[in-house]
Amino acid sequence: MRALLTEVNERLLIEAAQQDRSRFAELYEQNFERVYAFIVRRVSTRELAEDLTSEVFHHALAKLDTFEWRGVPFAAWLYRIAANVIADRWSRASTQHEVPTDSLNEQGFDDDTERRAMLFQLIDSLPDDQRTVIFQRFVEQRSIAEIARGMQPSEGAVKQLQFRAMQSLRARVRSKHV
Amino acid sequence: MSNISLYDELDREVESLLNGRATNSSHSGELADMLRIARDLRHLPRPDFKAQLAADLRIPSTPEAVLPTLFGGGYGNYPIHSTNFIASFALHVAAIALIAWSSVWLVQSRTLLTPSVETAVLTEISPYLPPAPTTAGGGGGGGNRDKFAATQGALPKFSRSQIVPPTLIVRNEDPKLSADPTVVVPPEVRLPQVGPLGDPMSRITGPLSNGSGGGIGSGTGGGVGSGRGPGVGPGWGGGIGGGAYRVGGGVSAPRALYNPDPQYSDEARKAKHQGIVVLWCVIGPDGRPHEMRVARSLGMGLDEKALEAVRTWRFEPALKDGRPVAVQVNIEVNFRLY
Repeated sequence: MRALLTEVNERLLIEAAQQDRSRFAELYEQNFERVYAFIVRRVSTRELAEDLTSEVFHHALAKLDTFEWRGVPFAAWLYRIAANVIADRWSRASTQHEVPTDSLNEQGFDDDTERRAMLFQLIDSLPDDQRTVIFQRFVEQRSIAEIARGMQPSEGAVKQLQFRAMQSLRARVRSKHV
Repeated sequence: MSNISLYDELDREVESLLNGRATNSSHSGELADMLRIARDLRHLPRPDFKAQLAADLRIPSTPEAVLPTLFGGGYGNYPIHSTNFIASFALHVAAIALIAWSSVWLVQSRTLLTPSVETAVLTEISPYLPPAPTTAGGGGGGGNRDKFAATQGALPKFSRSQIVPPTLIVRNEDPKLSADPTVVVPPEVRLPQVGPLGDPMSRITGPLSNGSGGGIGSGTGGGVGSGRGPGVGPGWGGGIGGGAYRVGGGVSAPRALYNPDPQYSDEARKAKHQGIVVLWCVIGPDGRPHEMRVARSLGMGLDEKALEAVRTWRFEPALKDGRPVAVQVNIEVNFRLY
C-alpha cells in the first residue's frame, strides 16, 4: 500500500514538473543522493562525480517532457541517463566505453547505491556539531587536531563527536533496513 | 574496551581509510559497521554542492508543496473531477450548515436555562378545577355586642340587598321608617324560616341575645353568624356559607395595583422545572389577599415562592353596588424558563 502511494505520488510529481519546471525541485530532492551515489561509485574523484551529477540533472530537466510513465521509478530513468553520461565521458577520454549496470535489480535500483544514498541523506538528520565534524573529516579530510582548532573543543571531544555521529548513522541505517 | 579507547580506535581506522592505508580487518560488531559507513562517507558530496546545483537548475532549493490544495500551490496541476468537486462542495456546505445550526441551537438552549417568571395572571379558573367536597357560598356575620351568644332561631328573610339587619332585641321600638330585617342571600334559596329570628346554628335557646356583633351572632356586619358582612354563615359578604363573593353577577373583579413577580427557586432552576402554580385566595375589601392556599401545586419550592410574592400584592378591591366586597379569586403564577 505504501509502495503504491509512493508510486502515485511520484507520478503526480512528474506530471506537475512536466507542466511547470519549478516543480522539478521535489524530484530533485528525492533523487539527488541516488544519482550522486550511483556516479561516485563509478568514477574516481568527488569533483568528477559532482560534475557528472550536474550533467545528469540538467539533461533530465531538458528531456523531462519525453518521460513517459511505464511503471518504472523515476530514479531508474535517471540512472539510465547517468550511465549514458558516464559512458560519454569515458568515450571522450577513450578509456572505457560501457558502464557496468549489472548490479541494477529489476526495478532499476542498485542496492549498494541505495544504501549509500540513504546514508548521504541521513547526514542531514545529525545534530549540527556532529554533522560539521563528519563533513570536515570526510569531505575536507581534515585531521582531528585541525577540526579541534576550528571548533574549539578538545581533540578528545571531536573524536567523541565523530564516534557519536557514526554510531547514530549506524543505528539509523539498521533501523531503515529492518 | 572503554569509550575513550573506542573513540581512538575508530579515529585511527578512519585516518587509515582517508590516507589510503589498509584498515584492521579483525574488527567486528559495532566498530566494523562504523568502518563500513566510514568507507561510504569518503564519497560524501560537499555540503553546498546540492544547493549550488539546484540554483544552476533554476529550481527552488526548498521545494514547494505540489499536492493539490484549495487555493495554494499545486492547484491546477492535477485533473479536476467534477463529481469529486461536487461531493466536496456538498460536504462543505453540509458542514457549514451543521455548524450554523448548532450555533443557533446552543444560543437557544442557553436562553432556556435562564430562569424567569413570565407573569402572574389573575383569573377565575374554578370551573376547570375539581369540585370542592362542600359547596361554598357567601356568608355574613352578626351580633350586637351582647355578653351572651346569639340565641337559636330562624333566619330572617332573604333579599339581594339589606336595609335593616336582623336583630332579636329591638332597641328602637318606634322607628320613623320601618323595614323588614333581611340578610343578603339570593331569594331563590329556600330554607325554613319559621319561628322567631335567631342563629340556626346556635345551641343557646335563651335568654334572647343578638350576640357580640352587629347583626345576629359573633361576626361583624349585618348578617347572621360568625362571618363578616350581610350574609349568613362564617364567611365574607353576602350569601350563605363560608365563602366570599365570586366575580360576576354584579361583582367586579379586583384589579392588581402592585404585583411583583415571584423569584425562581434554586432547586427548580437546577432541575429546569417549570409550570403554573394556582393560588386560591380572597381579596378583601381592604385590597389585600387573605386565606391564601395552593389550588394547584408545582413543587420544588415554587409554591412557597408564589405564596411569598402574592402575599405582598395589593389590589383595588372588587365592587358590588359600588361598595368594596371580598371576592374569591384564583391567581395563576406562570413559572417559565426562557
